[in-house]
Amino acid sequence: MRFTLLTLMLTLSLDAAAYLDPGTGSLILQGLIAGIAVAGFTIKTYWYKLRSMFGKAPENSLLDDDEPESSDQTQ
Amino acid sequence: MSTLPSSFRDPSGFVFQYENRIYRQVNNVYAQSYEKFMICGLYEELTARKILIEHTEISDGALPRTDECHKILEPDQLRYISYPYEWSFSQLKDAALLTLRAQAIALKHGFTLKDASAYNIQFHHGRPVFIDTLSFEPYEEGKPWTAYRQFCQHFAAPLALMARTDIELGKMLSSHIDGIPLPLASRLLPARTWLSYPFLAHIHLHAKMQAGYADLAGENQSSSQDKASSSKVSAKGLRAIAESLASFVNKLDWTPPKTEWGDYYDHTNYNDEASQKKRELVDEFLSRIDSPLNIVQDLGANTGEFSRIATKHADLVVSQDIDPVAVEKNYRKSREDKDSKLLPLRQDLFSPSPAIGWANEERESFRERAGCDAMLALALIHHLAISNNLPLAHIANLFAALSKWLIIEFVPKSDSQVIRLLETREDIFDHYNIEDFERVFGEYFDLREKQTVHGSERTLFLFQRK
Repeated sequence: MRFTLLTLMLTLSLDAAAYLDPGTGSLILQGLIAGIAVAGFTIKTYWYKLRSMFGKAPENSLLDDDEPESSDQTQ
Repeated sequence: MSTLPSSFRDPSGFVFQYENRIYRQVNNVYAQSYEKFMICGLYEELTARKILIEHTEISDGALPRTDECHKILEPDQLRYISYPYEWSFSQLKDAALLTLRAQAIALKHGFTLKDASAYNIQFHHGRPVFIDTLSFEPYEEGKPWTAYRQFCQHFAAPLALMARTDIELGKMLSSHIDGIPLPLASRLLPARTWLSYPFLAHIHLHAKMQAGYADLAGENQSSSQDKASSSKVSAKGLRAIAESLASFVNKLDWTPPKTEWGDYYDHTNYNDEASQKKRELVDEFLSRIDSPLNIVQDLGANTGEFSRIATKHADLVVSQDIDPVAVEKNYRKSREDKDSKLLPLRQDLFSPSPAIGWANEERESFRERAGCDAMLALALIHHLAISNNLPLAHIANLFAALSKWLIIEFVPKSDSQVIRLLETREDIFDHYNIEDFERVFGEYFDLREKQTVHGSERTLFLFQRK
């Protein structure tokens, strides 16, 4: 039994460098919500494509900046 | 070599101080990931977008290193370290969105963030920046996001609680160093948030899943680990999770209510002329200081009106106040103005940020960090001496320990603000008068300037530490 657990724990550590405990519940939940998130993301993408066909500007993702910021940082 | 006490969790490397500079050692165990990170274009894109702090690789053999050393990096040096429990709502929100942007860009380059700690973000030149260069690891096909739980605990949960339950709950981050436990957040959020998908998925259900799998033992544990190891998330899935979290965080909003301080400048007993005179005096006193001002602390800064005057004289002004509304307004304005020299923070001087974490050394106390070249304490003394019953010597003692120069405003008992404080309580403050103030502060400081603020009953002092 102990051997089985050890084997499971070893196979579970997907990356030797990972130092955080990701939490079993959090890992399983991600599997569930990733599917929903991808579906939502895909629908959104098509929706904006459709909108743009009618001349409406596409909405930028919160995670994309169009261009790297210029180095005009005031310091 | 003096390793920073906060730098021990990740075996990839550590941060150390040497001759007043901060360096980061990359350990051999992380060498491959680091080299790939540097050449694949990720470092370049993150730094070009000012998401990640820049560094140079140091070949100087004189620097100390351990046997595990692969490389030594010298990052762009930060002037002041602040912590998430000192940030306003929008500061924490901007830090959250920055973390997700870093994750999205990392995924584009075949990497992922291996942690999502709020302590990986600092405010530098007026904007949040990711400071942990070793947080990026190559993405392994199908592997879920290790840092998802940490992101929810450090960012999503406190922001949700601040927006939907009470703004004061942001301070819970100081009692929970790895973020707010999700079951606790779930219990504290209003019941109607169960009806909102992002709250349901990222907080409530997440909390239930954690609780459900946390204490399983024996055969149940092995079956849960089976499920966990079979939980696969594609890169597209990880990107969609980051998008979903970004949309959740972005929609969380907090509209500051009118508080005692948030609208202070509209309701002071200063008339326009006195207010203008006070601004001129502060400016003039700051000009009188003949030594360079790297850091100025403005304590009781409210929305930062006088901090902004100080930015003309200093490299950085840390603008601290107890009121979350004032700090939020201060940050929003500094962000709008792209003010690179102002750092608004929340600080309760009656009970300032403690030292927390392992051995009380991981996150430094306010006092350990607050040393400065000059300090502003305007319209503050009556709150300390009367609201908090502090003897004047205690106040002078702390200020002299922190700062070489002090610009302080004495607010007499005849001032309407002090009358208001004394309205509901017995006046036990015989020593609260300008003569005693000057005598007590004179024990710690030399008086350099003293001027009445024209049109008010207040007096402004410029002191130099003895």
